[in-house]
Amino acid sequence: MLVVAAQRWIDPHPRVDAMTGRVDTDARAGGASEADQCALEHALRLAERFGGRCVAVTAGPVAAEEMLRQALAAGADEVLRVDAPPGGDPVLEDGAETARVLAAGLTARYGHVDLVLCGDRSADRGTGSTPAYLAARLGAAQALGLLDVGRDGDGLRALRRLDGGRRESLAVPLPAVCSVEPTAVRLRRASLPATLAARRSEIPHVAVDAAPRGAVAVKAVRTYRPRARVLPAPSGDDARRRTLELTGALVERAPSRVVTPSSPEQAAGELLGFLRAHGYLPEERDD
Amino acid sequence: MDEPGGYAGPASKSAVVSDDSRAFDVVVVGAGPAGSASALEVARAGYTVALVERGPYPGAKNVYGGVVYGRILDELVPGWWERMPVQRWVTRRATMIMTPTQALTVDMRAQDWGRPPYNGATAYRADLDAWLADQAVAAGAVLIPATVATGLLRGPDGSVAGVRTDRPDGDLTASVVIACDGVNSFLAKEAGMYPAENVAEHTTLGVKETIALPREVIDERFGLSGRDGADIEMIGCTRGIPGGGFLYTNLESVSLGVVVGLTGLAAAKVRPEELIADLKEHPAIAPLVRGGTLQEYSAHLIPEGGYRSMPELVGDGMLVAGDAAAMCLAAGIWLEGVNFALGAGMYAGRAAAAALRSGDTSKSGLAAYRTMLEDSFVLADHRKLRKVPDLVLSQRVQADYPGLLCDLVQGLFTVENPAPKPGLRRLLRLGTRAHGVRRRDLVRDALVGLRSFG
Repeated sequence: MLVVAAQRWIDPHPRVDAMTGRVDTDARAGGASEADQCALEHALRLAERFGGRCVAVTAGPVAAEEMLRQALAAGADEVLRVDAPPGGDPVLEDGAETARVLAAGLTARYGHVDLVLCGDRSADRGTGSTPAYLAARLGAAQALGLLDVGRDGDGLRALRRLDGGRRESLAVPLPAVCSVEPTAVRLRRASLPATLAARRSEIPHVAVDAAPRGAVAVKAVRTYRPRARVLPAPSGDDARRRTLELTGALVERAPSRVVTPSSPEQAAGELLGFLRAHGYLPEERDD
Repeated sequence: MDEPGGYAGPASKSAVVSDDSRAFDVVVVGAGPAGSASALEVARAGYTVALVERGPYPGAKNVYGGVVYGRILDELVPGWWERMPVQRWVTRRATMIMTPTQALTVDMRAQDWGRPPYNGATAYRADLDAWLADQAVAAGAVLIPATVATGLLRGPDGSVAGVRTDRPDGDLTASVVIACDGVNSFLAKEAGMYPAENVAEHTTLGVKETIALPREVIDERFGLSGRDGADIEMIGCTRGIPGGGFLYTNLESVSLGVVVGLTGLAAAKVRPEELIADLKEHPAIAPLVRGGTLQEYSAHLIPEGGYRSMPELVGDGMLVAGDAAAMCLAAGIWLEGVNFALGAGMYAGRAAAAALRSGDTSKSGLAAYRTMLEDSFVLADHRKLRKVPDLVLSQRVQADYPGLLCDLVQGLFTVENPAPKPGLRRLLRLGTRAHGVRRRDLVRDALVGLRSFG
């Protein structure tokens, strides 16, 4: 039984330039997100329950070895770093490509994988697509965004959040890929002897081939810019009128109000009144 | 998460270990300049050394606005200036004496400082500390990050035998512990090495804003080019609270801050960020930082008491170095710390290695540390300048002299026609009277200054 915790190596506190959207990261501060740490804790527990081995894996550069050492210190039996294909970004930006690299690395090293646990979404890209792609690559069942996951006979019993405070309980067969929310568990604190041992360990790594041609590639991600809205030309005769029409200056408007209703009923009344006054709701009838 | 180590305060009781075997020859607590330098020396001498660091990586936890003088690195890392992560080499060093509306600056520019073998540099400590720790790790030290030393371990005879950490199974035994755990060292306090007197009196609070500006703008405003940098030290800008201000240029940011005495700050009931806000509005400073983006605000204690506030440096199985030993030199025109930490760390590492070689790690076996420090700049400078911290933080130097000097020079250059030019003596007389400075104090302070700096 091989339980894998797949961790993404990121800077959890990047600096984002509000004007340009440029993201600055610091490799030294790189590590696993909260969700990925929870995934590792779940993997450690499940490996104990199944009597299997726990492997922590990441697709990333040499700098990501620090994160794997922490996983080793926390109790992972083995770790594996998968080198991103040469020529590309060492930290993969695309869920499909990350999953391809991880699956290729895991298959090359271990052949068959029974269970992969991931964080529900990465802290940087945040699409949560990697586990789904990974399940497809490995031909495994998938259960994503879980609150909790435990052993149930030969399979898993997983808990997922629904609307309105409800939960659904899933029976998940193996092999499976599960992603977990950063809740319910926290990664155990590594002991000092394990930390010392992890400092001195060699971190194994495998290289995978570049993606076959024709695959969809994400080239560059720009900040969102809404499309320009086309407005009709102003109809005024002289420049002043046209400017007034365009800017809406000198038009009588009701000044905005700040209301602080004391009760929910009063707040609802205010909102309904506003919608009625602006024609979004029919006038109230006195029946 | 369970934390068996518990509270790391001065009252923590040291645990006693009976086992004679030691996991490491030396444990260094704190991977700052002192810690990394000592770990480097111990590892080079062929002994096993663990470097325990509280932050997730060396440099993660520090607050620093200052100039790193790397000369002592000649002994540790030859050719350091080609590899050390430096922001700018300081080629312009200014001391600014200020009142709210005046500033008198002595501005020294030396292009020699901008080429090998260099003098001082501004640096980001996250880069610098990580680089220094890398040197130690490359020499064989074992870095243990994200681990807090919560207390000391003692052998049956009472000598220090390692540290307890906040990790499960976290006892780290060693023959020698080098405490480089920074200002207000809990380890030195637990070992009973700190003087009993009021630590707050000898401690200042440094607060700093890192303000981002484009490189060209910094070059233009400070008259710099290439990797040249400027360093401005200020006095008289802290509303009369004992302390001073500083402004350092990094490559694409400036560090602007104030350092104020703890007791004075508490008595004045002023928040330190108000003092920075004052400074940013000062007519001499505002144009230098205008339009910058605030990137970081941080604060830290600084042990500025100098020689008189130092703890005992050597104990049974234990050495103290760097800020933990109050080795920050705050002597008015000289504000240094990292070089003293590097030097003290280096000598601590050498003393520990020598003690291990001779098989005696008791207080007498480690005593060479103090001798080495006394024979070098580390304690020689501190001893020579021991009276300066009190002088610099006195009411006269802080509030009276800046106003007196500024008025004097303003009077000198103000043209009062048709009145004839005033004599310097008359200006001095008027100034001392206006600022309530007594001739006697002036002479006495001049004597202390002359004896210390002369």
